[in-house]
Amino acid sequence: MAKPQSLSTRQMLQTAGIHAVLILLSVAFVFPLLWMLSTAIKPLDETMVNPPQWIPSEFQWGNFQEAFNYNSDTLGYSPFLQYGLNTIALTLLIVAGTVISNALVGYSFACLKWPGREVAFGLTLATMMVPFPVLMVPLFDLFQRFGWVGTFRPLWVPAFFGSAFSIYLLRQFFRSIPNELSEAARIDGCSEWRIFWQIIAPLSKPALAVVALFSFNGAWNDFIGPLLYLQDQKSFTLALGLQAYQSQAGGTPWNLLMAASLIVLGPVLILFFFAQRLFIQGIAVTGIKG
Amino acid sequence: MNRITWAVAALLAVVFFLSIGHTEQVAKPEPAPEGRIRITYWEKWTNFEEQAMREVVNKFNESQDKYFVDMLSVSGITNKVLLSTSGGIPPDVAGLFGAQMAQYGALGLARPLDDLIERDGIRAEDYIPAYWEMGRYEDRHIAFPSTPATTALHYNAADWRAGGFDPDNPPKTLEEFDKIAFALNKKTADGKLQKAGFLPNEPGWWNFGFGALFGAKYWDGGDKLLLNSPEMIEAYEWVQKYHREIGPGAVSNFKGGLGTFDSPQNGFMSGTVSSVLQGVWMANFIQMHNPDLDWRAAPFPHPASKPEMEGFTFVDMDILIIPRGAKNVEGAWEFIKYVQSQEGMELLCTGQAKHTPLVKVSDEFWANHKNPQIKLFHAQAFNEAAFAPVKLSMWPEIQGEMNAVYEAISGPELVNVTERLNRAQERLQPLLEKELRIRRAREAMAKENGA
Amino acid sequence: MKKASKETIAGLAFASPWIIGFCVFLAYPLLQALYLSLTDYNTLNAPVWVGFDNYIDLFKDELFHKSLVNTFSFAAFSLPLSMIFGISLALLLNNQVKGLSLYRAIFYVPSLVPMISLAMLWLWLFNGDYGIINIALKGIGISNPPLWLSDANWSKPALVVMSLWGVGNAMVIYLAGLQNVPVSLYESAELDGAGPFRKIWLVTLPLLSPVIQFNLIMGIIGSLQVFALPYVMFPGGAPDRATYFFAMYLWDSAFVNQRMGYASAMGWVMFLMIFALTMVSIKLSDKGVHYS
Repeated sequence: MAKPQSLSTRQMLQTAGIHAVLILLSVAFVFPLLWMLSTAIKPLDETMVNPPQWIPSEFQWGNFQEAFNYNSDTLGYSPFLQYGLNTIALTLLIVAGTVISNALVGYSFACLKWPGREVAFGLTLATMMVPFPVLMVPLFDLFQRFGWVGTFRPLWVPAFFGSAFSIYLLRQFFRSIPNELSEAARIDGCSEWRIFWQIIAPLSKPALAVVALFSFNGAWNDFIGPLLYLQDQKSFTLALGLQAYQSQAGGTPWNLLMAASLIVLGPVLILFFFAQRLFIQGIAVTGIKG
Repeated sequence: MNRITWAVAALLAVVFFLSIGHTEQVAKPEPAPEGRIRITYWEKWTNFEEQAMREVVNKFNESQDKYFVDMLSVSGITNKVLLSTSGGIPPDVAGLFGAQMAQYGALGLARPLDDLIERDGIRAEDYIPAYWEMGRYEDRHIAFPSTPATTALHYNAADWRAGGFDPDNPPKTLEEFDKIAFALNKKTADGKLQKAGFLPNEPGWWNFGFGALFGAKYWDGGDKLLLNSPEMIEAYEWVQKYHREIGPGAVSNFKGGLGTFDSPQNGFMSGTVSSVLQGVWMANFIQMHNPDLDWRAAPFPHPASKPEMEGFTFVDMDILIIPRGAKNVEGAWEFIKYVQSQEGMELLCTGQAKHTPLVKVSDEFWANHKNPQIKLFHAQAFNEAAFAPVKLSMWPEIQGEMNAVYEAISGPELVNVTERLNRAQERLQPLLEKELRIRRAREAMAKENGA
Repeated sequence: MKKASKETIAGLAFASPWIIGFCVFLAYPLLQALYLSLTDYNTLNAPVWVGFDNYIDLFKDELFHKSLVNTFSFAAFSLPLSMIFGISLALLLNNQVKGLSLYRAIFYVPSLVPMISLAMLWLWLFNGDYGIINIALKGIGISNPPLWLSDANWSKPALVVMSLWGVGNAMVIYLAGLQNVPVSLYESAELDGAGPFRKIWLVTLPLLSPVIQFNLIMGIIGSLQVFALPYVMFPGGAPDRATYFFAMYLWDSAFVNQRMGYASAMGWVMFLMIFALTMVSIKLSDKGVHYS
């Protein structure tokens, strides 16, 4: 047996080692963000230089403002604000739909037994393996028949009908929750709704947070969907709006594009910081077990 | 549930319905001004090219009391136009790519315009023949130019002078030109390329097209592709000569070091590449990024053995079409006619810094143009040796394959040109046959239905 | 019996959004695509029935073979590497170190960065002359480092490295999974004298196995459908189609070459391949998965 003191030295060394590895990796991972930032505050003619210039000769913080007001004059409104509002509204709808519908469906697949469940689950998995371009034309045709093209409905209504990825993710989580709790509740005569709402859902906050985070990120950055279905420029989303900074024959104001990207990235980053609290809360809840 | 939970739930519900309200409301298109018919127009351009078009649209709207054009800049435009046309809700006018004309024609994407052309007396003689011809597909006129393009050799006069070559007397033949290009290459002791006289793949937009420079046809007009013809082999052996001379690795490293096209670090504008194949728009970009550059443009040199290729140029254009099933054909046509008028066309082409597809040009257009050599580019379009996109709906696929050929024969292994071209021919020939077979089946079906 | 039927009703009720969504938004378009795969179709003209021609042509198509080989060889490297990397990162972060939330955010950032910015960044990182990667390689004495993106032999490995950067999504899932591992189990393992690696092996990984399986399946599906980054970075799969992946060929067939029927056939072939592979991996990995 090691003495307590040497154990703590060992622990300290271990902690220091972990930090060293983490810091090294962090540097590699934070690279793109730094590069975006460095590009965002450069004068345009320093953006595409080789060898790359990390520190701009002059810090142009005004790029952010310029990016924000890009094209405002010609359009008569601030596209960034307009697109931001559209994106927030759309994202809220999608996240709400994704979390609600998939929690229900995931619960059904994980905790309830019904005939055909395994087959249905197999089919659910299978849908993720279909390359998306194959579905694009039939889907567009379908939404066209609903009269939904040119509205936001093709983008958010399907979110209320479940998505294979989230169903699978939540099923895996729900299955790892010990079923003694729900069995006991069932014997007490609880309805499935109450078991779901009062036992499973609170225990699954980390998993639900992951689903919410992914659907937020996906909806916020989705490009193809809005590109296909939105038609009026006023209804565009931010991800689609970023295209305005790019021209067909080059002509990209890279510094403004990066500044705009950072403004778009901001909310997702902030959300992630806050979502982390939910993961940590999860420790406290599930830690009770055992 | 306690009160706080209820309050939160109620708040979320309110936010939820507000979101629905917002998305429903914002997606409604703005109505056209009182009493006017709204013409939707989708255009692919962004930035200054878009601005130029917007000016034309504004001019048109001011001149009208019947129609109102609502222009929308759309990315991924081809797919969007195709999907919305198949769904029966196309825009009234679409601005698309001339290189894909045959595809649009074969798909039946565009409404044939012959009836309107005849009714309103639009005349072929007013157009440079190449651009009129490019608007046609199988005996039907389906597209009109928005802006045209031609290419020429652009060269750095100071560089040429320093190397002992006379910039006022550019070479007529490729053989003379190769000597200049090779003499202007500068390499370091360890084989790194520092400066290039000319690289066929800078900017790399015409890698598929060098066959045309040697007079190669890509298709015989019937059921045979000609991707491994002697002219084609000769052309890509000429290309390979450049990569062999410099070293394939050195070329790709050098190219990786060049900035993007529209930046001061662009190879030609920064003076790192002495000569490039470029289009009519180039002058405008030079003015933006390096106005002091001492440059000239001349027709691209041709192979000495092929005098008929003198004045070779890639001729291309952006097009306006009326998609099949568009609601307001008359309004769309009215707008297209305005763009085709000398006034509309010159306004647009001045803004986009291109020449005009019309034969008649006003003195102000020449005088005010950003490109000092604009007359050269206009004249280039008349040349017999001009090469227009092949009118075959699988042309984009041929371009893709020929680009891959270029990469293979210029890659580290310098793949044998003849063998690689044979493979290209073998791969695509069956695809052509299949396409023709299906087209015949469709025509037979249409006939049956018609009869 | 009564209980069972009640549970069936509840089960179907809970699953009903998905049952509707599945039928309308997936099964219908998928069957439509199956029909189209037996026709020649180009979005604007009525499909012409060609039977199994598209499938027969597919098996003769040299470019189809090439794209398949590219795709599977990319997946064979990228999948295991990113799984190991993702799990290791999550385990490192699961230690109660200071600054945990900052690290976690940092590792997740690359998954949030817009594709265009990422692509531009990688293009110059991997540049043969000026790229930081080669400058570093030369620094440690490798005098002739590969040209990466412009060398057909090295562009795929470069893409594998890039894919490791996007490991943040998987990492977040692992982390959420790790929250479900009760601290008490670690404590009892510690009392039994297990070191950190044995603890991981005996406690963490078994309890994490459902999540690992999830990421494995998603990894197979994702890496075989790799599309956006190479499509932006390597137009046409340059150099010499070394990075021309299956999904890119499918996209080009459908929307550039306007062969919707052919593309649908490709989609179905790919779908069946991924499906078979996934089912096999589920069967194989199920033995190792521990559900409570």
